[in-house]
Amino acid sequence: MVDKLVRILYVEDEPDIQTVARLALETLGGFTVEICSSGNEALQRVAGFQPQLILLDVMMPGMDGPTTLGKLRELPQFATTPVVFMTAKVQPSEVAGYKQIGAVDVIPKPFDPMTLSGQVQAIWEHCHG
Amino acid sequence: MVDPAELQAKLKALSDSYAAQLPEKLSQIAHAWGQLPKDRWDDGGFQTLHRMVHSLTGSGKTFGFALLSDVARNLEEYLKQLAQAKTVPDEEQRKRIQVLLSELHQVTLHRDAAADDQSGLIAVAPAKQDIASTKRIFVVEDEPEQAEELKIQLGYFGYDVSVFNKLADFQQAMQATSDVVVLMDINFPENSRGGILATKEIQQKRDVPAPVVFLTSNVELDARLEAVRAGGIAYLSKPVNIGNLIDKLDSLTSTLPSAPYRVLIVDDSEALTTYYATVLEQAGMVVKAVNNPLHVMEPLLEFTPDLILLDIYMPECNGMELASVIRQLDAFVGIPIVFLSAESDLDKQLFAMGLGADDFLTKPIQPQHLISSVSSRIQRSLILRSFMVRDSLTGLLNHTAIKDQLDREVAQTKRRGMPLAFAMVDIDHFKKVNDTYGHPAGDRVIKSLSRMLKQRLRETDMVGRYGGEEFAVILSNTNGETALKVLDAIRKDFARLRHLAEGKEFSATFSCGIADVSFFGDSVKLCDAADKALYKAKHAGRNQVVLGHAPPVSGSDFV
Repeated sequence: MVDKLVRILYVEDEPDIQTVARLALETLGGFTVEICSSGNEALQRVAGFQPQLILLDVMMPGMDGPTTLGKLRELPQFATTPVVFMTAKVQPSEVAGYKQIGAVDVIPKPFDPMTLSGQVQAIWEHCHG
Repeated sequence: MVDPAELQAKLKALSDSYAAQLPEKLSQIAHAWGQLPKDRWDDGGFQTLHRMVHSLTGSGKTFGFALLSDVARNLEEYLKQLAQAKTVPDEEQRKRIQVLLSELHQVTLHRDAAADDQSGLIAVAPAKQDIASTKRIFVVEDEPEQAEELKIQLGYFGYDVSVFNKLADFQQAMQATSDVVVLMDINFPENSRGGILATKEIQQKRDVPAPVVFLTSNVELDARLEAVRAGGIAYLSKPVNIGNLIDKLDSLTSTLPSAPYRVLIVDDSEALTTYYATVLEQAGMVVKAVNNPLHVMEPLLEFTPDLILLDIYMPECNGMELASVIRQLDAFVGIPIVFLSAESDLDKQLFAMGLGADDFLTKPIQPQHLISSVSSRIQRSLILRSFMVRDSLTGLLNHTAIKDQLDREVAQTKRRGMPLAFAMVDIDHFKKVNDTYGHPAGDRVIKSLSRMLKQRLRETDMVGRYGGEEFAVILSNTNGETALKVLDAIRKDFARLRHLAEGKEFSATFSCGIADVSFFGDSVKLCDAADKALYKAKHAGRNQVVLGHAPPVSGSDFV
């Protein structure tokens, strides 16, 4: 029996994307979403929010997505939490690279707000399937 | 469950606010680019630029700007290559970046129609087609006098003209310019085909070739051939016949006005009309709903729909009766009428068709089906109507159409208490033009006046060809005095226009009479007053505009 996906942490520096992602994931997908604007903020708040799945933008000022992932993995309780990268670069080789450093999948940007929840749900089911 | 309409509305609002921020974002990008030093590599500055562009790549499509994402991605890839080399971009590379930046500007206008699979509704308005409304012209001509003359003549038609006497200046300007038509001389001091060479160079750097019209006194075939190969869309010999030139420019820059389709819905169920209205409005149409069939006449006349959706079963008056009534009105003989009903009995459907229906949609109707059948009907009927209502020489509304339009406009302005002016324009001594220079020359004068009126008046104004050399203009929301100023300015410019017939130049003038709706009760009186004012203008020596006076006070007008 797979746990129902409820809590998603989304790390994204752009306010525009934050808003539309929240709308897509909460209103349409029915998830509970916590949004952080930087890798640092994510590291500070992740323990308090206890996400089941983390969405990470790759290109952020300061700490980028892969670095944030590395730091998250150093926290024992999030060593295995599924992390999905969000990125505009979706060359197959790059996707493979992201998976190698521990992402379960990559959602290409720009995403379609109407289908984002479905994508996330599919990834969740896939990594528990 | 989420209300799809509400979600739609929210997404739309987000997309709107994203759209509103785009100009600022682009100007920040342009600024970051402009700030980069040209003499040394600035890693930090370059990263900033890269990140800004990257953010467009990653967001555009999400907010309905797919093209923006694509172009930003191209630019981003290119910037990435440069960043790897860490060398200051050279001239060539800078140009490439400029081109991509200007594309970025263009595609901000292209908003997509988002698809909303969940609700089955068609989401948001269709991509806004900002059709080439280019009115900018670059004249590249080494002889200053000829260039100035072209600038002046084209200016009369409302074109915004920049003159370049040197090819190098022109090439410089083209780097930052996209929507422009180029008029290019071929012979330059440095090279007898310098214009062609420069054009080739320009075109190579562009993804979408710039429209170029070559001007030359050279009639050799190989020069023409070369011009075609350089992407020339026309080749005009000097001295330039301004009429021919404007013809070319018109075909490049003007398309049929794409006003949103107007649909009148008559259905006694408020819930259903609201639903249909929402579906059609989301597809970018303008909708008016009437719930009581007996109240249909006023909205019909005032709203002037392109199509009527009629429910068959309504209390008091059924859809079929209503269709017959509407068909009896001259102005609506041709309007598409589509019945909506739960009726699936084919006999009844056919009977309805016999009464003047064009189509029959069975409830419940799929939103997509409703949109496509409504819009394809409207499209066809508008094309047909354009043949009926347009004058073949000028493309203006014909006599009947402009009169119908005047009736409608006057009724509307009277009800709303808005100003409106009506003008009659007549070319002076037109017979003499025909006799002296021939009918083809006369036709060209008519065409040039029609174009000048179209281009110089607002899109909401209506211009018709009233008779041979007579035009009618409806200036909505304009009082007599303002109309006088506008038309007098056009009169002066028209008189300065130089027409060409068999190598001879001549000019023509027009007279004009104007009447202001506030003094006249109906369109017949208004028309009559404009005609009288025109007569006065002719009588006072022609080449002038006269504003008709209020009729003498008589009891009947002030009841």
